[in-house]
Amino acid sequence: MPTSMTTAEAITLATDVLVNWVWPVEAAPPAPDRLDVTLKEPKELIPMVTALRVQRLGYLSAITGLDLGPEDGRLEILYQFCVAAAVITIRVPIPREDATIQSLTDLIPGAEPYERELSEMFGVTVVGMRNPLRLYLPDDWPEGVYPLRKDFDPSVLHNHHKEQSDAAAED
Amino acid sequence: MQPQKTEQFTVPIGPQHPALKEPSSFLISVDGEVVTNAIVRLGYAHRGIEKATESRTYVQNLYLLERICGICSHIHGTAFAMGVERLAGVEVPPRAQAIRLIIAELERIHSHMLWLGVGAHQGGFDALFMFSWRDRETVMDLLESISGNRVNYSANVLGGVKFDLTAAHIGDILKALDYLEERTHHYLKVVTTDASFLQRTRGIGTMTRHQAEVLGAIGPTARASGVLRDVRIEAPYGAYVDHPVTTITDDRGDLEARFAVRIKELFESYRLIREVLDDLPPGDIKTRVKRKIPEGEAAFRVEAPRGELFYFIKSDGTDIPSRVKVRTPTICNMTSVVKLAVGHQLADVPMILAGIDPCFSCNDRMVRVNRNNGSDGWTWEQLRQHGIEYYKQRSQDYDPLVVG
Repeated sequence: MPTSMTTAEAITLATDVLVNWVWPVEAAPPAPDRLDVTLKEPKELIPMVTALRVQRLGYLSAITGLDLGPEDGRLEILYQFCVAAAVITIRVPIPREDATIQSLTDLIPGAEPYERELSEMFGVTVVGMRNPLRLYLPDDWPEGVYPLRKDFDPSVLHNHHKEQSDAAAED
Repeated sequence: MQPQKTEQFTVPIGPQHPALKEPSSFLISVDGEVVTNAIVRLGYAHRGIEKATESRTYVQNLYLLERICGICSHIHGTAFAMGVERLAGVEVPPRAQAIRLIIAELERIHSHMLWLGVGAHQGGFDALFMFSWRDRETVMDLLESISGNRVNYSANVLGGVKFDLTAAHIGDILKALDYLEERTHHYLKVVTTDASFLQRTRGIGTMTRHQAEVLGAIGPTARASGVLRDVRIEAPYGAYVDHPVTTITDDRGDLEARFAVRIKELFESYRLIREVLDDLPPGDIKTRVKRKIPEGEAAFRVEAPRGELFYFIKSDGTDIPSRVKVRTPTICNMTSVVKLAVGHQLADVPMILAGIDPCFSCNDRMVRVNRNNGSDGWTWEQLRQHGIEYYKQRSQDYDPLVVG
């Protein structure tokens, strides 16, 4: 019964499934109740999440985006699965300039709002999203501006809205 | 013969007040009175808080994050403070842990009673709405007497809590709990026996156990579908380690079950507060936390009144966090609303929406747009000056007050 799995059992099972993966992966336990697995290739995400689902190991609690900055040139997407007190994180580093990731919504329908948020806040193209509409940002938000990236400059919005209202005044 | 063509009509609900007094927008496609599709659009109360945390210190962020939600403010502060304390490797004194639990449970009581009122109002039962909100004032008064504030109590500091509970507070709390317990028995009887109200709740918006798991429902919404998901039990934190919670679940999964689960959870909160007050550990209420937080990442989960609240904090070794991610409970349950509405009467949609106890301020939190009829936005100083002038006209002078 998955719901009665203890934290230790969950970590052991997750280690078994994810660390002894078909291809070698980097893994670290930052705390006794956590397991972080870093993927080498974004395409490994779907098979790995499928493996977690087959084992009924936890539920997707959050998708966290991290911008490692323009110097580093990477974004990191964290898929956090929780079971009992265990937090199992699949970390997917992707290039900032070509940020593309597969959607999880076919496996986990509840991932839809998280992916919509990730996509608009970090400029990540999520392939296979059922509803690619904006979730939080306004309809007139400028294209190509991603607020949770580290190099986001709020003055872009000032200019954007000023241009819009000037254009409206001319009409 | 051609089959008769069915016309689809889309009803926009919101963004103004789709069910409660908060903004969100739903595009509901209907065939006659029956809902065939629903699309949600959020963000009308989006304030850019996650981004704002990246330019404020940990201490400032504690107060900022508490303002994500006016109803469950304490739990946001607790999740952040406990996450930071874990990163800093600080042990919080037991008395502070106990006080955090008591405030959290008082918050759960007032949140559930608020919801009971909103739910009743949506069902057209305004007497219940007014009674439950009257009784909710009991808790609000308690919180005000303890902290000085009805909402945003600011009970937490990094490393403990700000104020102690005196003998007078404890007496007041115990007296209030006796009164509330009696009232809660009455409410449970009403929502499970009132025939006209049951017509609006029984068998409406039913979510099976399997659906709840697949759609990722959490909190009382999931527990009303028989899914035992409660962070206080799965991953006990703070004083919940020593004071375990009994979870209330219900297998029916309809609106009636959601009412029953939340009301029964009130009894559990009363029991828990009494248990902790009975055995309140003596000692300090705070410990010192260094201004700079060591490099690292922490994921911290707590049980908010609406379900699991998830915080992810990344520190780069300075006094300002590199990233704070907040995943609030409503966003998890929103998927279920959109799916459950299909097949129901349009008139049931507000009830189904209210059934998950949505909190849009929680949902929407990240980006601030300066838009003031085309002119530039206000700076902090301008806003402050406006506030001072505003109150001066109302004969209150805050000018000499120096902030900073």
